[in-house]
Amino acid sequence: MEVGLSHFLVVSTALLSLGIYGVITRKNAVMVLMGIELILNAANINFVAFSKYGNFGLEGQVMALFIIVLAAAEAAIALAIVLNIYKTFNHVNVDEIEDLKE
Amino acid sequence: MEMNSLYDSLSLIAPELIISVTLLVIVLFDLIFKNNKKMLPFLSTVGLAVALITQAGNLTDGGFAFSPENTPLFYGMLTIDSFGAFFKILVLAASMLIIYFSSTTDEVNESFDRLGEYYTLIFGMVLGMMFMISASDLILIYLSVELLSLSSYVLAGFSKNKTRNNEAALKYLLFGAFSSGLMLFGISLIYGMVGSTNLTALNNFLQTGSINLFTITISLILVFAGIGYKISSAPFHFWTPDVYEGAPISITAFLSVASKAAGFALLIRFIRVGFVSYVDSEGFWKLSEVFDWQLLLVIIAILTMTLGNFSALWQDNLKRMLAYSSIAHAGYMLLGLAVMSDQGVLAVLVYFFIYAIMNIGAFFIVMLIANRIGSENIDDYDGLGFKAPLLGVSLGIFLVSLTGIPPTAGFIGKLYLFIALVDANMIAVAVIALLNTVVSLYYYIRVLKHMYLVKPSTEPPVIKPSFNNLIFVLILAVPTIIFGIYFTPILDFAKQCVQFFGV
Amino acid sequence: MLTEFGKIFVFLIFAMLFVAISIFIARLIRPTRPTKEKLKIYECGEEAMGTPWIKFNIRFYVVALIFLIFDVEVVLLFPWAITYKDYGIYGFLVGIIFLVVLAIGMAYEWRKGDLEWARPKPNIPDLSKILKKKIAQPETIEPSADN
Repeated sequence: MEVGLSHFLVVSTALLSLGIYGVITRKNAVMVLMGIELILNAANINFVAFSKYGNFGLEGQVMALFIIVLAAAEAAIALAIVLNIYKTFNHVNVDEIEDLKE
Repeated sequence: MEMNSLYDSLSLIAPELIISVTLLVIVLFDLIFKNNKKMLPFLSTVGLAVALITQAGNLTDGGFAFSPENTPLFYGMLTIDSFGAFFKILVLAASMLIIYFSSTTDEVNESFDRLGEYYTLIFGMVLGMMFMISASDLILIYLSVELLSLSSYVLAGFSKNKTRNNEAALKYLLFGAFSSGLMLFGISLIYGMVGSTNLTALNNFLQTGSINLFTITISLILVFAGIGYKISSAPFHFWTPDVYEGAPISITAFLSVASKAAGFALLIRFIRVGFVSYVDSEGFWKLSEVFDWQLLLVIIAILTMTLGNFSALWQDNLKRMLAYSSIAHAGYMLLGLAVMSDQGVLAVLVYFFIYAIMNIGAFFIVMLIANRIGSENIDDYDGLGFKAPLLGVSLGIFLVSLTGIPPTAGFIGKLYLFIALVDANMIAVAVIALLNTVVSLYYYIRVLKHMYLVKPSTEPPVIKPSFNNLIFVLILAVPTIIFGIYFTPILDFAKQCVQFFGV
Repeated sequence: MLTEFGKIFVFLIFAMLFVAISIFIARLIRPTRPTKEKLKIYECGEEAMGTPWIKFNIRFYVVALIFLIFDVEVVLLFPWAITYKDYGIYGFLVGIIFLVVLAIGMAYEWRKGDLEWARPKPNIPDLSKILKKKIAQPETIEPSADN
């Protein structure tokens, strides 16, 4: 069986769905962030696959590099904020951090 | 890329370069003179002023910057035009106001050790916004949105030891990262269909290519999720009240004005460059048949302003109330875009100009009062109007203007919006917007009622703002009145700026 | 003549021989005094046995965050590294500007004390001195009416 574009798209769509599922169902902030990373990587697979199979040039692969860097930057900032949350609230449960609601 | 074209591109983005250099200068200054924080706002203001003057001098410049190799000249990562120049001037001017605003906010000045980071990150945001405003390539759109977001996540939680700051940062981060992730997935689908990330290429594709309607609808909705989050429009607005209430108030004002302006500029350019086939003689845009932007925007606009106005009715925290009010204003401005004509965009530009002045003004006075009485709760405002006459009157002017009652500038903004709507035969929509304005009157006037008519249970403190702060309030309050009567300058400026390069 | 892969093979053989010979010589000349601590499995200074769910010092996370950023930024240098020669001195300068900005970031971390294991104390004004001053001049204690 030849591995083609559609295989990559199936994988990326599955990753996207898993990511959205993780964001919606998880209570731990770190797990939510992992879900977001999955979404970013789903898009990344799409970019590389389209760029390879569509003969669109290197635009998609350059985009993939940028996304890797941005995902790392986002993860760093996110973890720093979560560390801070842990210091003030002593837990990182997203559902229970709701002082501002009324 | 040829060296010559690189130089041309660099000269087109001169204001952005000035901002980047100022950012580095601030970091280095903070490193070398560790204990001299007084100079930081001054340095920032100088950098912004130079960028503003450069931008104002290049108001009518047009061109594509950073065109890829071997492509015809009507491609580029960035499009420089007078439409972008309008929003850049708005962002730069708002940033200058915010720099002064921050330097008087107690909440910010408490963390003395990290003030250098504060101003650096503000410049990160400004840089992100400026690239967002002129980006005409999906790669750059995503990168600039992220640059803006990452800086603002940190700023929203700047005073690390306050619970509500931390919570605001976390909520902003989770919503923001999620929606920008969805936007990225949408962009990847568009790239797969079009074979390029350029908006002009997208437009060409939509007019000629074979289109899978289902895929393009999905991908555009995903992209709109990212932009809608930035302008806090209806289904993506949940973060707004919490973040606006929790963040330091200068950042709240900055997010509600500049960040929103950049988001709107991005949305307008995305639709104008990506989807408009041609513009007819009366200035109405004829869109490609693939996606009904007008219907989507009208529904979202009505939803946004209704939700914003009705939620604002029972808010007791002024910051939170202004947050809902800013959601409602995003709804009005989306209506201006939904007209899909040059006149509609003109209305958005005029509205934004006025909205920036009055919104920063309102937040500034809330900040001055919070610095003194340590609360933003409406019950603590009882009888304050007589103890702080000038602040009370100015807050009254800003709130009346936010409602849109003549003779304030807010009325002019709404007037042009309704003219654009009526011209496009969208009477029903205009009536809904008008009813919304009536609703908004209640919660704006309620603040004034508390300030002047409610008898305070305890004697309120006397508030005497310093001379500089008074001047700052007047700089914002006087134009709010003057532009309500003599508004030709704004109109001329905006008319000059409804021009897109290369479409 | 050797093929390209042949050269790599020769290189590989030399590398293996070098390692084997140096270990053998080291064994001949070094003293052997094993203690309990020395015989333990080496694992980055952590206790090798026991539950993995211990709490790590929070400084590990901060160092990891800083490392993560600088580690990943290098990715952006790869595309530049293969093409900068085509653009002469300007292509080179573009990369240098990027590296200078990164270096400023590094200097910032250093100066702010985030690279030190024991973090220097933040520069907080001495409260006792201020209080003494205020006690000496009591009229300044009242909050000024100024905002």
